[in-house]
Amino acid sequence: MLGIQRQVNLPALNTILLSFPCNLGVLCGKKQARSEHMATPVLDNPLRAGLRIGRTPEPCTMVIFGASGDLTSRKLVPALYNLARERRLPGGFSVVGFARRDWSDDYFRDLLREAVNANSRSGPVDPELWASFAQGIQYHRGSFDEADAYTSLAARLAAIDAERGTSGNRVFYLATPPEAYPTIVAQLGAHGLAHSNGWTRIIIEKPFGHDLASAQALNTEVLSVFREDQVYRIDHYLGKETVQNILIFRFANGIFEPIWNRSHIDHVQITVAETIGVEDRGGYYDTSGALRDMIQNHLMQLLCLVAMEPPSLYDADAVRDEKVKVLRAVRRLSVNDTVRGQYGPGSANGLPVRGYREEKGVSPTSQTETYVALKLFIDNWRWAGVPFYLRSGKRLPRRVSEIAIQFKAAPTMIFADTPLNDLDPNVLAIKIQPDEGISLKFSSKTPGQSQIRPVTMDFRYGASFGVTSPEAYERLLLDCMLGDGTLFTRRDEVETSWALLTPILQAWAEGPPQPFPNYEAGSWGPAAADEFIARDGRSWRRL
Amino acid sequence: MSEGAIDINAIERELRQMWQEQAAHPDAGGQAVIRALTLNLIVRAPDDDWAEQALAVAPALTAQHPNRTVIVIDRPGPATELQANAQALCTLANAGRTQVCGEQVTISARGAPAGQLASLVLPLLVPDLPVVLWAPGPQPFAQPLVQRLYRLCDRLIVDSTTFADPLRELAELAVFEQTANGAPAVSDLGWTRLTPWRELTAQFFDTRPFLPHLHRIDEIVIEYAAGNRPNPVAALLFVGWLASCLKWTPLEDAVGIEGETIQIYLRRPAVGVGPAAIRLVSVAIRPVDLAGVEGLARLVLRAVDNQQAEFVVELTSDAGHACTRATIAGAHPIERTATIDRPALADLLNSELRLLSRDRTFAAALNLAGGLARRLALP
Repeated sequence: MLGIQRQVNLPALNTILLSFPCNLGVLCGKKQARSEHMATPVLDNPLRAGLRIGRTPEPCTMVIFGASGDLTSRKLVPALYNLARERRLPGGFSVVGFARRDWSDDYFRDLLREAVNANSRSGPVDPELWASFAQGIQYHRGSFDEADAYTSLAARLAAIDAERGTSGNRVFYLATPPEAYPTIVAQLGAHGLAHSNGWTRIIIEKPFGHDLASAQALNTEVLSVFREDQVYRIDHYLGKETVQNILIFRFANGIFEPIWNRSHIDHVQITVAETIGVEDRGGYYDTSGALRDMIQNHLMQLLCLVAMEPPSLYDADAVRDEKVKVLRAVRRLSVNDTVRGQYGPGSANGLPVRGYREEKGVSPTSQTETYVALKLFIDNWRWAGVPFYLRSGKRLPRRVSEIAIQFKAAPTMIFADTPLNDLDPNVLAIKIQPDEGISLKFSSKTPGQSQIRPVTMDFRYGASFGVTSPEAYERLLLDCMLGDGTLFTRRDEVETSWALLTPILQAWAEGPPQPFPNYEAGSWGPAAADEFIARDGRSWRRL
Repeated sequence: MSEGAIDINAIERELRQMWQEQAAHPDAGGQAVIRALTLNLIVRAPDDDWAEQALAVAPALTAQHPNRTVIVIDRPGPATELQANAQALCTLANAGRTQVCGEQVTISARGAPAGQLASLVLPLLVPDLPVVLWAPGPQPFAQPLVQRLYRLCDRLIVDSTTFADPLRELAELAVFEQTANGAPAVSDLGWTRLTPWRELTAQFFDTRPFLPHLHRIDEIVIEYAAGNRPNPVAALLFVGWLASCLKWTPLEDAVGIEGETIQIYLRRPAVGVGPAAIRLVSVAIRPVDLAGVEGLARLVLRAVDNQQAEFVVELTSDAGHACTRATIAGAHPIERTATIDRPALADLLNSELRLLSRDRTFAAALNLAGGLARRLALP
């Protein structure tokens, strides 16, 4: 039903032609062919009406490329198993793991069973349920560039369709290193796997490109085989409950939106702090850095959700249209709006830890940043003049992600003994992890004395809803199978975000080497970052 | 206090004091205690057993819906007896997380007039929060306390599996729900227990090629576990649900009981014929002997005309799982195992407390099932 409107990259002329009454052979054929392939998320099952019964997708096969990898066993299969456990997956749902190693179906199943036992939020598997789930799991051996492997994959998928009733519905999940994406996509296209008599979708993991040119190139390659509405670029931050709650909080309450603008807000701080170092991803991280690894995707997504205008409806394209508008309105960034850092030796959780340059896989003279702070402005009527400070780093003292909206101070102070600048302004903090919740700081009188003190009013998810939230991957995998792209990034979002940050990356690469390391592991980043925000008469929130 | 009178303010004072003590002396774990009430729950317990059950589920309810629970033990008796006590109840979430606390007030009464009980309950409700009345046991609508309180409530929860005269009471429940029209919203825990069965049934028809078969079902067989008191309410509600979703209407006078089997005929629109054409769906509901199981045990939807198609959900030998099987003539049968836990009372209540408004799917199913029950209950 959303079919033709969803075609964002379809030229306008084409759209008009397609919507003509069907009386010309050529056009008719084309229209039918297209609508067959269209993702139709709504299946008119009359038993689905009403409350309580959660949505379940049509039976489908999920093909995981890179099935021998960490992501498959740590996140994907546990998420799928938990969905099955909660009856969110239909009978007939199947998984095909595609990887190079010489494994048998049984060996692969045993391995996944171990993985689910170790990583599932619901604990060890229920043997009966697993037995039924595992019947739908197969292993397909092949190299990503080996044509024969795709021919046999097509045959295998057709066999599953016949045996398990998946009617041609497929999800291809690229859980491989990014270098393999173009090869896999091209091979899928060459073997006619990009379209079927059901629906076909492809999920692409981050990183999506490493700068604007590479992201555009990857998009071109993917979109030469798949249509945009088949492509699901995953950013697991969007699968988190609190991130989704930002939109509910803003647009389902009447009291916040009227003050959500430059008249009332002084500035916004978005922080994503990690305590871990680069772990065993040193080799990859050294070619990437904090700007690419965190800012370009996760922090930019948070920025969009906080700053976007209300969409006209809660629908994949309406929401993403508004998000892209935010990115397009961001003022061009210069190097002077950024601070970078790299951690040296220090301590974490009371134990000494190595510096970044001593990590495995990292160059001893590495210039890669593990910390970035930046300031940006959104030049539109709502936000003109309001700075947004973003920071993200590794080996910081606490693992915390939050968005803090700092409001303007009271315009005048009538309480004589309390000078205006001693008062804390109101802060609305949206905490994303680890303690999900929302808190509002306001001033209050201390008992007895005539003093004013800031107090916080806390809403904690854990306190008001005792249920454990599903993992981000569960939500996202289910959404993709249901054909709902709202929580995935669209082509223009990815490219606009890269377009903003690529000039910084270039300037850094061309600029003089930095005196790295410049912060101690376990501290709140380089001193330069504190000076950077102090120049504006503000300071980072103590978290 | 004087005999027979309870000082409501004393109860409130007691609760307030408990919170203040908690705040002054956080418990040994050093965890903050948060009072976060999201609703008022009144439990009308017909006897001490039910009061104990209500007390037993309170921690699990508090974890998901921190609430003020007022349990009224409303026992019959010649002499009037009244007692009240209050406690704060905290549940510890995972280590290191905040404690979630609710409050409980128990009013133990014997032979007290409903008006007197209501006058105790009403001032105890926390203002500006939804009020839910849970009335387990048989004959909920005949209870004077329920009659007095239901208008003030946002939701009334009953449990059709505890009905003494299931068919007659189901018919009453249907009439009550229709008359109340959402004020209050009505919940039946017997319906809540059907959710997994409805989910598994609905899932068959998310498969595009199977969907057409849903509109050409000819036969339905439902088997339910019968202990010493057969209660076909769940099965009737299930039929009511299918019929209301698929626009089937009961055939007048084609409802009957043969031995232990309930036989029903419904009219359904015919597929692929002129609009005036109708076809019949035959429904057989029968009890089976199954130890340790309550509620539905097996469900078969069958299309026989033209192309054979059969959809089955049945409990496996170990309770806790169900096997679903779709068999279409000429194709490989599709089978799988799904979890279908025997739900704890707390889970059932929690899922009802999550709802804020009238459950229209339930209302439609109940309306139809109530009509069938009325005809079945006729002598």
